[in-house]
Amino acid sequence: MSNKANRGWIERLATSLKIIPEYLPTSDAQHESLNRYPDPEHWDHWSEYDPATWPEKVKRDYMIVPTTCFNCESACGLLGYVDKETGKIKKFEGNPHHPGSRGRNCAKGPATINQINDTDRILYPQKRVGKRGDGKWQRVSWDEVLDDLAGRLRKAIQEKRNNEIAYHVGRPGHEGYMDRVLNAWGVDGHNSHTNVCSSAARLGYTLWHGYDRPSPDHANAKFILLISAHLESGHYFNPHAQRIIEGRMKGAKLAVMDPRLSNTASVSDYWMPTQPGSEPAVLLALARQLLLDGTYDRDFVSNWVNWRQYMVNKTGDSDASFESFIAQLIEDYKEFTPEFAESESGIPVETILKVADEIGKAGSQFATHTWRSASAGHLGGWCVARCLHFLNVLTGSVGTQGGTSPSGWNKFKPKFFETPPAHKFWNELHFPNEYPLACYEMSILLPHFLKEGRGKMDTYFSRVLNPVWSYPDGFSWIEVLSDPDMIQCHVAMTPTWNESAYFADYVLPMGHSGERHDLNSYETHSGMWIAFRQPILREAARRRGEPVEFTYQANPGEVWEEDEFWIELSWRMDPDGSLGIREHFLSPYRTEVSDEDRKISIEEYYQFIFENTAGLPEAAKAEGLSPLEYMRRYGAFEVEKFSYEKHKKNVQDDLVSKIDDGAVVDEAGKSIGIEIAGEAYIGFNTPSRKQELFSQTMVDWKWPEHAAPGYIHSQVHPENINRANSEFVLLPTFRLPTLIHSRSGNAKWLAEISNRNPLWVHTDDAAKMGVETGGLLRVSTEIGYFVDRAWVTEAIRPGVIACSHHLGRWRREQDPKANRWAMNTVDISNENGVWKLRHKAGTHSYTSDDPDSQRIFWDDGGVHQNLTFPVQPDPISGMQCWHQKIKVEVAHADDRYGDVVVDTRKSMEVYRRWLSMTRPAPGPNNLRRPLWFKRPLRPEESLFYLD
Amino acid sequence: MRNFGFIIDNRRCIGCHACTVACKAEHNVAVGVNRTWVKYIEKGQFPESQRLFSVMRCNHCDNAPCVEICPVTALYRRDDGIVDFDNRRCIGCKACMQACPYDALYIDPQTHTAAKCNYCAHRIDVGLEPACVNVCPTQAIVSGDLNDPESRISVLKAEQSVSARKVEKGTEPALFYIDADQDSLDPLAAEVADEFMWGGQNSGVGHFAHDSDSDDEHILEKFGRMLSFGETSTQLGKNVAHQLLDDLASTPKRAYDAPQKGVLWGWQVSGYLWTKSIAAGVIVAVMLAQLISANFVTQGLELFSSVVALLFLGITGALLVWDLDQPARFLYVLLRPQWRSWLVRGAYIITAYSGLLVLYAAMSWMWNWTGGPVLWLTLLVTAMMTAIYTAFLFAQAKGRSFWQSKTGVMHMATHAMINGAAVLMLFANWWDDSFVWYLRYLLGITAVVQLLVTMVELYFPHGDAESKLVVSSILSGRYSRLFWGVSIALGTVLPILLLMLGSQVAVTVAAVLFLFGVFAAQHIWVRAPQQIPLS
Repeated sequence: MSNKANRGWIERLATSLKIIPEYLPTSDAQHESLNRYPDPEHWDHWSEYDPATWPEKVKRDYMIVPTTCFNCESACGLLGYVDKETGKIKKFEGNPHHPGSRGRNCAKGPATINQINDTDRILYPQKRVGKRGDGKWQRVSWDEVLDDLAGRLRKAIQEKRNNEIAYHVGRPGHEGYMDRVLNAWGVDGHNSHTNVCSSAARLGYTLWHGYDRPSPDHANAKFILLISAHLESGHYFNPHAQRIIEGRMKGAKLAVMDPRLSNTASVSDYWMPTQPGSEPAVLLALARQLLLDGTYDRDFVSNWVNWRQYMVNKTGDSDASFESFIAQLIEDYKEFTPEFAESESGIPVETILKVADEIGKAGSQFATHTWRSASAGHLGGWCVARCLHFLNVLTGSVGTQGGTSPSGWNKFKPKFFETPPAHKFWNELHFPNEYPLACYEMSILLPHFLKEGRGKMDTYFSRVLNPVWSYPDGFSWIEVLSDPDMIQCHVAMTPTWNESAYFADYVLPMGHSGERHDLNSYETHSGMWIAFRQPILREAARRRGEPVEFTYQANPGEVWEEDEFWIELSWRMDPDGSLGIREHFLSPYRTEVSDEDRKISIEEYYQFIFENTAGLPEAAKAEGLSPLEYMRRYGAFEVEKFSYEKHKKNVQDDLVSKIDDGAVVDEAGKSIGIEIAGEAYIGFNTPSRKQELFSQTMVDWKWPEHAAPGYIHSQVHPENINRANSEFVLLPTFRLPTLIHSRSGNAKWLAEISNRNPLWVHTDDAAKMGVETGGLLRVSTEIGYFVDRAWVTEAIRPGVIACSHHLGRWRREQDPKANRWAMNTVDISNENGVWKLRHKAGTHSYTSDDPDSQRIFWDDGGVHQNLTFPVQPDPISGMQCWHQKIKVEVAHADDRYGDVVVDTRKSMEVYRRWLSMTRPAPGPNNLRRPLWFKRPLRPEESLFYLD
Repeated sequence: MRNFGFIIDNRRCIGCHACTVACKAEHNVAVGVNRTWVKYIEKGQFPESQRLFSVMRCNHCDNAPCVEICPVTALYRRDDGIVDFDNRRCIGCKACMQACPYDALYIDPQTHTAAKCNYCAHRIDVGLEPACVNVCPTQAIVSGDLNDPESRISVLKAEQSVSARKVEKGTEPALFYIDADQDSLDPLAAEVADEFMWGGQNSGVGHFAHDSDSDDEHILEKFGRMLSFGETSTQLGKNVAHQLLDDLASTPKRAYDAPQKGVLWGWQVSGYLWTKSIAAGVIVAVMLAQLISANFVTQGLELFSSVVALLFLGITGALLVWDLDQPARFLYVLLRPQWRSWLVRGAYIITAYSGLLVLYAAMSWMWNWTGGPVLWLTLLVTAMMTAIYTAFLFAQAKGRSFWQSKTGVMHMATHAMINGAAVLMLFANWWDDSFVWYLRYLLGITAVVQLLVTMVELYFPHGDAESKLVVSSILSGRYSRLFWGVSIALGTVLPILLLMLGSQVAVTVAAVLFLFGVFAAQHIWVRAPQQIPLS
């Protein structure tokens, strides 16, 4: 059978005469069974055969260090294999001890090694030379950076210009770290990417129960409804995909609403390719059907929904029966017949009825999810989440096994070694009065606010954030980032060069996954876990007995990490302690007098958290480890295996002051629970402690028409689209399984799979336009146009065009070489206020230390579409409404692939139009914002009131 | 004894490419080539449209054609069923890439040797699962021992209905799909493409990967391109099988696929067939003559034919070595022989033939005596074997259905006789009239036989859909002009008519045309089947 040993006499003779080298066959080692991973007891010394020399059996010795992935926010577990001979990381595999990812990863996990070894990465801090944006840089030391920035920040704080300091973050990737720092500084400086991402869905969920995200228990569901593509993208893609498939293998059915045939939709049982924006109409039709069919959960709805409030508001009857409430509800939603839903969405009545039937049968085992997708696309997109959760409420699948829990139930909150008091500022550049209900900051409007003169920035930190590229209206960002009067100092903290960093004063290289410390915890499933992202080479050095003081001493070049940077910066901002900052960065482990003024180290920071994590000290002790040692070794800890129905936790007796008409109230008069059948439960995080079908908050804040879940016509509703005039709806937000925004750049193995973002055009639409796959189309928005190729397909709803948003990265000729696996070289010009971007070169082979850079077989990196989108902030949630009304035509004679043309004056007009749709604060009691709403970096309560 | 295999469970696969990248990370696989990849097929009309995912890789066949054809045992099947490889032995002949019906192999642009999925044998031998199995978010890839009825893979295989790719090839694959989509497994169901839903291909990979920044083409490469009648060596995009597949109404569409590896046996291979047929043919013609009547053959003819044969054998050898991606290892074919491979058998036949030629030429030169019928017959047989062994080699290339044709031997034989006689005919002035007369008849008869064999082969189609596609590409597709114009009209029919005219000029022109015709036929025969996608 085996052919391997058949070296004949000729070969034996030739090798013995040394004419040819002797390559002996090797024997197969027989292992009884195969393991997925080396046992942790071998992680300090692990040997395996070098695949490069195979089948010659050459053992290579590794140290295995757990960390977490940082390509998306899921923070799946990774094991870094450190080659003991070279001292470098050889590869990443999954961490089997991570409760969320369970040793498995998506393509982006193992591709992390590409980012570590990227030929174009930034290895040292860079300082601008010449004018901002000129593309000239010089290497500086971390000391220079820290001293210069500490001086600036100190001065701004001393001069009470606290609101001129901002930290604008993409994906945070940590738990609460930065809020602590900013509070210590006394700065209302947190800005985030949330309103290009999830503000809308957050509002929908917040209105129901005060938690802003869903946590579906897919693995135990009987029916799963996704308004997303979680089998291929989005966080928490890998953990969710595992559990969705697990659920399906146990018999669950899957329905997916998406106008585009995503990979997720393709494997579903029910693909519902809705007319974009019509999702709430379909969801309300499903809700109505559950009511008509009587398949709602009577117990849950009657106990846990504020239906009496609803009835009082509707009918004035405070003693209405539950039956009359149901009748009223059916009456109030009578418009939402399956026929109406079909006319809005194009989904056949039969499908709607069938899905309603399946949902009714699934009952409490009904898992749902929406995050970006339709919620992020539309005016009123927050209604998608609100109407989707309506179905969970009706089926009583809130917080049940197989149902959908509030995110907060499955997400860990760390205890810090020290918590500074809340700061005393309200930065209206982040939380303007026009958007009192916005979930998170109005970050997309920062350029427009600065241009209007609403304020300026002294020091603007952007961290893993690339607004020029990933935000709408990027040319307006270029305008303000180029203007030192609006932004005096831009500090870009990023592992890689990017379009926004080109317009910075400092570019500070911060580590990729495996080069930094972070604490992670996400609601990936019904349990709760923490994971420790640790710098692999630093940990390896420590294990070798060669500890370093700072992470940049172990990382490639002088790549650092934010955690340590902020400690050092804060320390230097307040050299004498007079600003009251230093005291928040003192080690909690000071013991001796001489130790009194000792700065906290990053190890101590995490040591304290782990020592105060429920169950972790015990688990560590059982293995003879300290909590920190446990986390260094295993990288993750399961805090709770599963957690359901936490709303039924009893209120602590000693907190209860009185119980008034079912409301459990504390000393301060604050509602802290609810009494049902004689039991005081903590309930949900709403004023009523119940699921709020009726929202008094919406009434109070001038949106009475949205007191209950409803349907708002999108900016791209068919009534606004003239098909006869070649107008279409553009879906510009869909993701690929291989990429994440600009984060997953610099990974050759991902770039070779996905490198273009053609326009998905339905076959019939293409035929009408006379275009085939590869043909050039010009796509015009309200402020400009871009030119891209067509991908003609049956996988999209006619009348809808889709374009993935990951691709179209660029650098100008003068910019440092960056991500040459996927970046186009472009020319950018501005004539009379009109910006023009044109590709000068696509991707091509280049010479570097990595021979693969000579094997690039694709010739472009896609088209940057976001530049042509105006800001379209939803007047309530503040979410950028991404979907665009576009006009599509065959490219003009002088159009070239990749062209982008934008008039930023028009984008200011569009901004003002959308701004005029708002209903500004104050609300009741002169409030800027409802007190019960979440607010990042929450200031002292007095700041919530307008003067 | 264990027998490792894979099950790809399409009820679980979500097409995420994690396996692709984890494999690259484990083996540091070069950009452009893949040991495993996920093919996407789209089919159906909105809203019934579907996208289907199929993980593609080595099938670890029980009866692996790559192992059989590999001349140097660089590929081998281990006792545990894993088809592994030793790239230190590989000479880069690319025969395995023609033999594998699954498109599993590629040329590693770093080592210039063949490579493929080896089931992570280096991990198996330390007791670890393959990297792709580990990474898969949905556990859609199942590894295990097919011989152990208790193993998860065996239980799954027993409980679920499974299918495999191209079982008709007799390879006995050890990779099975649950819920397979036949249009995804059938390479012909969807056109090949260079533009996908989120990517594209604009230049060669693997064997054709850029070696440097410079786009300069080596002069010999230019010459090669000329010999290839303008086809580019990478064969990208719409050129590939596009026209062939137009004949089939294929609704499924490739939405994503790994980059195309190009036509791997290029002009060097058709060139080597041509030079080899001359080297063999002149001797066949002369030995036949010698056996018919000793009077035919003068000492000049003996020396001329053996020198021409040796010269063209030399060129043949040079082309063969040139075609290797590891040319410096060419001796391995002789020194690490894997006797089931026709590459090895052929190399030894050529070597034997060269030896006999030297002997024959030396005897003629020194003694003007060539030994008589036994040697002549031996030479004749060896020359003929030199001419035809490649047909067996091509038949061993299981990946290419068209090459499985039984007429291959006839083609090789007649091509050798035509080429041999034509070369001798070019120097008709030097030979006796009777020998020239003999050459005319030999040429005429073999050309007619060749024409008949070709027509029978092409008009009485045999074999599977793949072969039929090749035939239609020859008769009416991309090769039709070359076939009808150069190979048949100019290269066969016209010279037959010229032979009948009989004038010196006509016969010389005929000889030249025959040589062109044979080259065109061989070029088509080598290239056309390689245009058919294997996956």
